[in-house]
Amino acid sequence: MSTILVNPLDERVPPQGAAAPRLRSLAGARVALLDISKGGGSIFLDRLDSLLREQFGVTEVLRFRKPTFAKPAPEAVLADMRKAQPQAVIEALAD
Amino acid sequence: MLAEGQLAPEIDGVPPSGPALLAFFKTDCPACHLSLRYLDDLSRQFTNDATVVGVSQDAPQPTSELADSLGLALPLRFDSDLNASAEYGLEAVPALFLVDRLGRVAGSSQGFDKADLNRLSAALAGLSGSPVPNPARSGDGNPDFQPGCVSRHLEPESDDESAAPVDMYARRARRASRVNVPADTEPEEFCYEQGFADPLPVIPPTVGRVDRMIAASGLDAEDVVAHVPPNFAPASVEKIAANAVMAGCLPSHMRVLVPAVRALCDERLDIHGVQGTTHFAAPLAIVNGPVRLQLGFACGSNVFSNAARANSTIGRAIHLILRNLGGAAPGRIDMSTMGNPGRFSYVIGENEEASPWEPLATDFGIPAGRNAVTFYCAEPPCAVSEHKARTAEVLLRAICPVLANLWSHRVCKRSEALVVIGPEHAATLDRSGFSKRDVVEFLYRNTGIPVREYDGDGGEGTHEASSYDECLIRGVRCYRKFRKPESIRVMVAGGPAGKFSAVIGSWATGPRGSQMVCHGFD
Repeated sequence: MSTILVNPLDERVPPQGAAAPRLRSLAGARVALLDISKGGGSIFLDRLDSLLREQFGVTEVLRFRKPTFAKPAPEAVLADMRKAQPQAVIEALAD
Repeated sequence: MLAEGQLAPEIDGVPPSGPALLAFFKTDCPACHLSLRYLDDLSRQFTNDATVVGVSQDAPQPTSELADSLGLALPLRFDSDLNASAEYGLEAVPALFLVDRLGRVAGSSQGFDKADLNRLSAALAGLSGSPVPNPARSGDGNPDFQPGCVSRHLEPESDDESAAPVDMYARRARRASRVNVPADTEPEEFCYEQGFADPLPVIPPTVGRVDRMIAASGLDAEDVVAHVPPNFAPASVEKIAANAVMAGCLPSHMRVLVPAVRALCDERLDIHGVQGTTHFAAPLAIVNGPVRLQLGFACGSNVFSNAARANSTIGRAIHLILRNLGGAAPGRIDMSTMGNPGRFSYVIGENEEASPWEPLATDFGIPAGRNAVTFYCAEPPCAVSEHKARTAEVLLRAICPVLANLWSHRVCKRSEALVVIGPEHAATLDRSGFSKRDVVEFLYRNTGIPVREYDGDGGEGTHEASSYDECLIRGVRCYRKFRKPESIRVMVAGGPAGKFSAVIGSWATGPRGSQMVCHGFD
């Protein structure tokens, strides 16, 4: 006689999304940088900000910041980012 | 994308008639809206047989609504079944295809790009003998380039029920599926192979075992107790029961496990962050109330180790639930650098019988004598040995330096602490007349880091020193370690012999991190 088990896992199938089309060039683009508030993150992003402008021709770098790295971004931060309509977002994850 | 020279496939059963510029779009794509405005102007400029045709990936009604709102006059066709989108091989919309008189692809572009638009317009004019238009000028108020959106045919199936957005407030869940173990496979090995478990063997969650667990909870199998971060899978009573069986719980343990899962997912605890941290933290559960003795929780000797089935198995069930429903498998979501042995199981009972004070849960407004489970996102315990002290002051002075080293020696005002006082130490403190509040105040006032240690070497905690609170501790200028007395919690646990206590550090704290939570239950 076979044994029948109750599935103990999350059985939902996660929604799959295709990746957004890649930018062909950063030149002339508007790029958002999301700082998650980890120590040292702003130093790294300041440097990235300069490099994007100076070496890649990015015309506008928008800066956004989560109030804490410990929690998901609040809706207000995401709404501000959507409103600004950047063509690319770089999220500086921790560590 | 189809290459130049390839035959342009049919759209809705009809081959495209060249020369034409086909523009695939979807109605909810901002770059498509932008592109369609230019294409519509372009279509009005061609008066001979060249055409500009919009190909909608959506149904006629939303397409017609969009056309009306944009005032479009260009001819429209429909690729509602998305077959043409797949055959043309587009990845993003808007996607433009120039088709020549022989019905072959003569050029293409994806996304909104003024240069491409002008290039393809000029090529269309060349194919039809029309004057060369220049529909898109730089500096006309619109961007020169805007990436498009993913083509509709590459989106996830929207009619798949399982792909629906997460409902954070669902009160009922589907029943769990049943899994047949192949006849030639040991059920215990099968569970391991299926990724049901941590690396230790489990009790296979057979239907009968899970049903007995559900029945003991007094709840319906489909009732949802919480949604477990970060994946927010619904922790239905049935899923909790299946994990409880695997962990080795008894049906009676559901009485604690169900409220524990609810407390674990209390937003104030922020288990979401702890699940993915690189830090040591693991949720520690502390049980108060009569249920400790009724279910045989270890509160005395070996309270942190493998002394009692209730602690060990309920703690393991909690961590299996975090892994199996929350998604925090080590190396994927759970990225702790060093880990924590408490990630197997981390549950203690307070030794209320050996305590001179009110139970921990009373700090959170739960009356003494009521059952409660408190969660604290905790580092492993640090040992304190003090076998000579005869007074509270001498004893507590042994605890202060251990507190001072939490998180990182020179970091102040960041971490919290749980001080687990052993019964012999509790007796010493009680003999000195110290209440729990007196203990907390003493530890707060006498734990600090000497200012001389902030000598400009740039180490962790030194950059924020200007925000620290200076004080004098035994004549030495110090920065106070803790933000406030309430940053230190005190409870009693452990065996009757041995003058030991334990200090347990926290994860990130406060409203921007994890706050201790305490839930009462019957």
